[in-house]
Amino acid sequence: MLLAKNRLLELLEHLSTQARVYVPARLEVASLAGESTDSGTLSHFVQYAAGVQPDFELVNTTLPPKDMLFPQTQKMYRYGFDTDGVPYIDPIHDADEVVVFGLRSCDMASIDCMDQVFLTKGYEDEFYAPRRQKLLCVALACGQAAESCFCDSMGIDPNVAANADIQLVAGDEAFSLSAQTEKGQAALSQWQAFLSAGELPVAPAPTSCSLKVEANGLKDKLEQMYEHPLWEQISKKCLTCGTCTFVCPTCHCFDISQSNRMQMGERFRSWDSCMFFDYTEMAGHHNPRAAKMPRVRQRFMHKLCFFEERYGCSLCVGCGRCVAQCPVALDITVLIDQIGAAPLDEKQDVEGAVHAG
Amino acid sequence: MSDSQSIQASLRSRAAELLASDQVAELIGWGAGRFPDQTTPLFITQADQAEGLVYSEYCQNTLGKYAITELSELVADQGKLAICVRGCESRGINRMLKDNQIERDRLYLLGIPCSGMKNRQSGELLSKCMNCSHKNPVIYDELLGETVAEGEPDRFGAVCALEECDRASREQYFDAAFDRCIRCYACREVCPVCTCRECFVDQHEVGWQGKQGNTTENRFYSLTRAFHISDRCVECGECERACPMGLPLMVLNRKLVKDLDDLFQAGEAGLDAVAVNSLGTYDVADVEEFM
Amino acid sequence: MSVVETNVATTGAMATGANSPAAAESWQPSILAFACHWCTYSGADLAGLNRMEYPANVRLLRVPCSGRVNPQYVLSALGKGADGVLVCGCHPGDCHYVSGNYYAKRRLMAFKRLLEFTGLEPGRFQVRWISGSEAGKFRDTVTRVCEEVRALGPLTTDQRQALADPVLAGAAATTQAGEAQ
Repeated sequence: MLLAKNRLLELLEHLSTQARVYVPARLEVASLAGESTDSGTLSHFVQYAAGVQPDFELVNTTLPPKDMLFPQTQKMYRYGFDTDGVPYIDPIHDADEVVVFGLRSCDMASIDCMDQVFLTKGYEDEFYAPRRQKLLCVALACGQAAESCFCDSMGIDPNVAANADIQLVAGDEAFSLSAQTEKGQAALSQWQAFLSAGELPVAPAPTSCSLKVEANGLKDKLEQMYEHPLWEQISKKCLTCGTCTFVCPTCHCFDISQSNRMQMGERFRSWDSCMFFDYTEMAGHHNPRAAKMPRVRQRFMHKLCFFEERYGCSLCVGCGRCVAQCPVALDITVLIDQIGAAPLDEKQDVEGAVHAG
Repeated sequence: MSDSQSIQASLRSRAAELLASDQVAELIGWGAGRFPDQTTPLFITQADQAEGLVYSEYCQNTLGKYAITELSELVADQGKLAICVRGCESRGINRMLKDNQIERDRLYLLGIPCSGMKNRQSGELLSKCMNCSHKNPVIYDELLGETVAEGEPDRFGAVCALEECDRASREQYFDAAFDRCIRCYACREVCPVCTCRECFVDQHEVGWQGKQGNTTENRFYSLTRAFHISDRCVECGECERACPMGLPLMVLNRKLVKDLDDLFQAGEAGLDAVAVNSLGTYDVADVEEFM
Repeated sequence: MSVVETNVATTGAMATGANSPAAAESWQPSILAFACHWCTYSGADLAGLNRMEYPANVRLLRVPCSGRVNPQYVLSALGKGADGVLVCGCHPGDCHYVSGNYYAKRRLMAFKRLLEFTGLEPGRFQVRWISGSEAGKFRDTVTRVCEEVRALGPLTTDQRQALADPVLAGAAATTQAGEAQ
C-alpha cells in the first residue's frame, strides 16, 4: 500500500478526529530577545493539531516517545472528603485511543521492553495496560542514522521495526505501508480512502549505523564484573543528574507521591532516576547507594545485564539519546567497549566497592 | 603549533612530572571522547596516563565542581589534587573555597588562559563563553601558556533586552521554558555553587519540591535554584550548557547578578575567596522601596 | 509546606473550580500575608481592636520576623492557590532582632525583581513595613493589595487547574451515589 506524501497531513487530520495522534516534531526554543543556548535542535513526539509541523526527517527525537504509555506524571487516583464529610477514593483511568506516527525501530523496541516490565511475569499494570491496548504504533524506517545511533549493534534493524502495527518506508513521493499485526491490518483497511495500491518504485537503500559496538556476551561478562574497578573509574565524571534516564526510551522507574490540598488530593506516580541520591533512600535515611559509583553501576548493569537476566533482552536499544545528551559525555558505547576489553583476572576492588556502597 | 596545541603539550608534560614526583596524587583535565572533537572530563593518577590529556577548543566541560568529590576520596597525605583551571573554573574554585567546601592547600591549580570554547557540532563559540569576563584564571599555582587579552563582555545584554519586552511575552517565554524542563537537575549537579549537602529538592519530609512535572513545579525549582545561587553565581554558564532542554538559565542567573550589583554594588562573585556575599550582609543605607 | 497549604484561604472560588463561568463572577482573590509577630501582627490586632474593616480575602500568617520569610514561601503560596502574597515587617531600624528586616529587604527586593522578570504582575507580590501602631496603614495596605489583585484576576497554576478538573468536581457526587446504593 502507498500513501502519497502530500496526503499525509489529510490522513493525520482524519485520524485526529478519532484518536490522539502523536507525531515527531521540533521543540521550538523561542528566543524572545536574541538570547541563545547551546542546546541545538530539540525534538519530541507531540500531539498532532492545527499548527503542528510533523518532521519525519528527524533522526530520532530528543525526548523518547515513552510518555505516551508512561507519562512523566501519571495521576492514579483522587481522594478526599465530600461535602458530607464522607471519604472517597476515585481512581483515574485516562487512557485514550492513541496513534503514534513515525516511531523509529529503537523506539518500538523500547516499547517492547516496557511491555515486558508492565505486562508480564504475572503482573499487569493497571495504568500502562489500557494505554498500551489503545496504542497503534506506526513505525517509520530510518532513512539515515545519527552519529550516536547504534541500534543495529543491539540487534535492532533500523529498517524494520519488529512488532510495530504498521511499518512505513519513506520513498521520494510516497510512504509504503505494510501491516505487521491484525491491529495494523484493521487500521489500514480503515485508511483505504487515503491509500493507493502499489509498491515504491525504488526501494530506499537500507540504513545502517556507523557507530558499532560488540554487545554479544555482554551479559555473561558483566555477571562477573560487579566488583570490577572499572565502575569506580568510569563513574568519576558522572554528575548523577537524571538526563540519561529521562531521555532514555526504556527507563521506566517511577516514584509514587501525592499532592494534597485542604480536603482533597491526588496520588500520582512520576519518573524517577536511579542516578538520584534519594532514589534508594530509605526510612531513617539509610541509603544503600549513597555514593556515585553504585548508582552508575546500577544503571549500566540494569541496562546491559540484570534486565536481560530477567526478561531475556537487553534494556538498551541503541537509540543513542543518552550518548548525545550526557553533559559530560559518559558514553554507554565507550563503556561497552571498555567492558569488552576489561581483563577479568584483574584484582577486583572488593574493599572499595563495600566502602562506596 | 596553535595555542591550544602548545598548552596541550605543556599540560601533558607538567601532568606527567607532577604525578611522577608524587606532588600530585590525581589530576583532572580533559580526554578525548568517541566522536571527532568531542572531549570528556578525564581523571588520571599515573604519569603514563598524561598522554591521554587533551586540550583543544572543544573542552566544553567546566571541571571545578569535581574538586569536592575527588578531594573527599583522596587521602590527605598522599599528594594534592591537580585541576586544570580556566577563568570559569578558577572562579568556581574560589567560590568553593569561600564556602569551605575544599581546602586550598590540597589543590594544585594548573592555570590555562582561554579564549573561549566551541560547540563541536556547530563550530561556533559556546554561548556560555560569549560574554566571559575572565578569560584568564583568577587563581592558580602555575600558568600554562600566555595570558590572553580580556574582551569587553556584554554580560547583561540578554537580560536588558528581555527587560525591555512586555510582561505578557516574558511570562509566555519563561512558562514555555519551565514547561520544557524535565527536572534532571543537571543544572544543580554541575554548579560549583550548588554544594548543599542536602538540596531542598531532596527534602521530601519537608516537601518543598513536589514531584510532578508541570510548569508550576518546574518554575518553583528553577526560580529557587537561581535565587539560591544569586549572590554567589560565578557566571560560568555550565548550568545552561548542561541543560538538555535548552532552558535560558543564565538569563535568570544574570538577572539576579545584575540587580544585586545595581542595588547593592555586589560586583562579580568568585574573584577571590574572601568577599562577603551581598545577600549575606546589609547596609542600613540600602535603597528603600517597601515603605 | 503544610503551613501554606492549610492557611491559604479557600474563598469560594477555589473549592468549586476557578475556571467555570459561574465561578468567574463570584471569584474572590486569595491573598496570603506574612506578618511579623512584633509589629505588623500587632498592627493588625490593633486594627481589629479599633473595629477597622478590611477585606476577608487576606489571610495572615504570623512569622517571628520578616527575615524568616523564605522566598520559597512566596513561590509556594503562588503555586498552590494564592493570587497574591504580601510580606510585612517592622520598619528598618525597628527589628526586634535588630537586623532581620534589613536582610529581608535585600533578599525580597532581588526576589521581587526576579519574579517580575519571569512574568509575574508586580501587584501579586508586595512587601510593606507596618509597625504595631500603624493599624490604619495595615488596613489601607491590605485593602489596596486586595483590590489590585482583584483587578488582576485569578492566577492560573497547574495545581488549581488540576483541582478545577471536572472529574474532581464530580468526584464527590459520584462517590455519594455509589454509597447510597
